[in-house]
Amino acid sequence: MDTTSMLQVSNLTVQFGSLKAVNNVSFEIQRGEIFALIGPNGAGKTTAFNAISGLLFPQAGQIVFKGTDITKLMPHKRCKLGMARTFQVVRAFNYMTVEDVVRVGAYNRQGEDTVAAKVDQMIELCGLGEVRQRVCGDLGLATLRRVELARALATEPELLLLDESGAGLNTAELASFMDLLRKINREQNITLCIVEHLMQMVMGLSQRIVVLDSGEVIATGTPHEISNNQKVIEAYLGKRVTQC
Amino acid sequence: MKRPKLLNSKNIAILVVLAIAIVLPLFLRTNQYVLFLATTVLLYAVLASAWNIIGGMAGQLDLGAAAYVGLGAFTTGTLLIRFNLTPWVGMFIGALLAMGIATLIGIPLFGFKVKEVWYALSSSALVEVFRAIFMMWNKVGGPTERYLPFSAEGPRSWYLMRFNTYVPYFYIMLALLVVVFIINHRIRYSKLGYSLLALGEDEDAVEVLGVDSRLCKLKALMIYSFVAGLVGGVYGCIYGYLHPSFFSTDMSLEVVILGIVGGMGVTYGPLLAAIFLVSFREYLRASLSGMFPGKGLEGLYLMVYALILIVVALFQPRGIAPLIKRGFLKLKSFVGVK
Repeated sequence: MDTTSMLQVSNLTVQFGSLKAVNNVSFEIQRGEIFALIGPNGAGKTTAFNAISGLLFPQAGQIVFKGTDITKLMPHKRCKLGMARTFQVVRAFNYMTVEDVVRVGAYNRQGEDTVAAKVDQMIELCGLGEVRQRVCGDLGLATLRRVELARALATEPELLLLDESGAGLNTAELASFMDLLRKINREQNITLCIVEHLMQMVMGLSQRIVVLDSGEVIATGTPHEISNNQKVIEAYLGKRVTQC
Repeated sequence: MKRPKLLNSKNIAILVVLAIAIVLPLFLRTNQYVLFLATTVLLYAVLASAWNIIGGMAGQLDLGAAAYVGLGAFTTGTLLIRFNLTPWVGMFIGALLAMGIATLIGIPLFGFKVKEVWYALSSSALVEVFRAIFMMWNKVGGPTERYLPFSAEGPRSWYLMRFNTYVPYFYIMLALLVVVFIINHRIRYSKLGYSLLALGEDEDAVEVLGVDSRLCKLKALMIYSFVAGLVGGVYGCIYGYLHPSFFSTDMSLEVVILGIVGGMGVTYGPLLAAIFLVSFREYLRASLSGMFPGKGLEGLYLMVYALILIVVALFQPRGIAPLIKRGFLKLKSFVGVK
C-alpha cells in the first residue's frame, strides 16, 4: 500500500432516486497536504463529504482510508481510525457548554483521567478560553465554527474534513480562521480536506484542488492551474457567448 | 466540567431534603392516605429519574415505562405465588427480565434509527402489546386479579414484602430514589453522560466524533428498564394483586410529563416535579370532587391539571428546574455561603 496516500476515493457514486449527486468520482488525498474540493452549488461536494465520513453509504465505488477499506464502516468507527469532520451548517450542541462539547470529542481517544487536559489544550489552541463556560446556543457563528473545529480536533484525527467552514465569516474572522487551519496543518501534521465556496480561502490555503460540477470531476490541479482552467471558469460563470 | 465535590452546598441541600424525607413517616404515621400519597410521589420520582437517563439526557421520548413496571410486577408476583420466592429477590429477577426485553426491542429500534415521534409511538405500543398478552395469557395474567399472599406482621410479612402500613414501602422507594440519583449523577459526569447529552441534540454530529450512538442509547435504555422493573416488583406488592391494567399508558405518560416538567437532563428535576405535580393532582382530585358532589364533575381535576401543564410548557419549556436553581442561588447569596 502507498504510504503517502491518506484517502483514496475511487469511482464513488451516490444516487438520490434518479439523481446522481456524485457520479463516478475519483481522487486521492496525500498525507500532510491541504486538499480542496470545490464546485458550484449542487455540484455534490457535501454529498461526497457525507459518503467519506459515513453519514450516507454510496451506491458504488470504494473509499480507502490509510489502507483500510471504509466504504461500509459506521461513522464512529471512521473517527476511531482517525477521521473527523465539521458541518456546513454549524451543528453545535446548543444546550451544552463549549468545554462539554469539546469533551465529547476528546473522549474518542482519552480516558476519564486525561480527558480534561485534552479539553484545555484544544480550547487554548482554538482560542475559546473566554467562552468555555458559555452555552453554545448563546454564541455567534464565528465562535461556533471554532467550537466545531475544537471538538473535531479533540478526537485527534489524522484527516480533518472541513465543510464550508469559512461560510458566514467576515474578512477578519476568515483571516484568523485560515491562520488557525495552517497552524493545525503544519504543527500537528493533520491532513486537511476542505470543501469551499470562498475562493479567497481555497486559493490561500490549498495545495491541490479537485473541481466538481454536476457530480463529476471536471478538473484537478494546483490553485494556479485551476484558476486558468477553461472548464472551471465555464462551470462557475457559464459559457462565453461566441459573439453578439 | 469536573464532577462536583461531594460536600458542596448543593449536596448539603440534598442531605437536608433526605433527612426530612427520612423522618417524614414518623409524623404521618397515623395518616395512611398521606403516607400512600408520599409513597406514590416517590414511586413516580424514581421512574421519572430513571426516565431522565433515556429521555432527558439522550432525548429519546420513551413512553414504555409501564411495560417495564408491569413486567417487573408480574415476574415478582408470579415467582411469589408459584414458587414462594421472596419479592426481595424476585424484584431483581423481574428487573433483569424487563432489561432483557428492553434490550431485545432496543437493538432493532436503535439499529434502524427509529427516532423522535416514531420511537415514542413504538415504545408506547409496547405497553399495549404487553397488556394484550397478559390479558390473554391465563397461566400468569388473565382478566381477573391474582392476589398476592398476605401476612399482617412478623418475619413472614417481611418475607412477602406485604405490610399493613405504607411506611416500609415509603422507605423502599426512598432507598431506590437515592440509588437512582447516584446512578444519574455518576452517568451525567461520565463519558456516557456527555455522549448521551450530545446525541440527544444531534445524532449525526456525535457519530462523527467517535461516539457509537446506538450503543449509548441501548445502555441508557437498559439502565432505565432495569430500574422500572425494580419499581414494578414493589408496585405489585404495594397493591397486593397482579392485573394486566398495570400495563397502563397513563402511567408511562405521567412519567414522561414529570421528566419534562422537572427539566430535561437535570437529576433532581423529576423529584421536584413529582412532589409538586403528583401531590397537587391528588389534592385537586380530593378537593374538587368534594366541591361539586353528584354533578358528574369527577374529572374536573384533570382539566385543572392539564391547564397547569400547559402553563408550565408555555412559560418554562426547559422545566421547573432552572427556576428552582435560580431560587437556590439567591438563597445561597442571601445566607452568604459560597
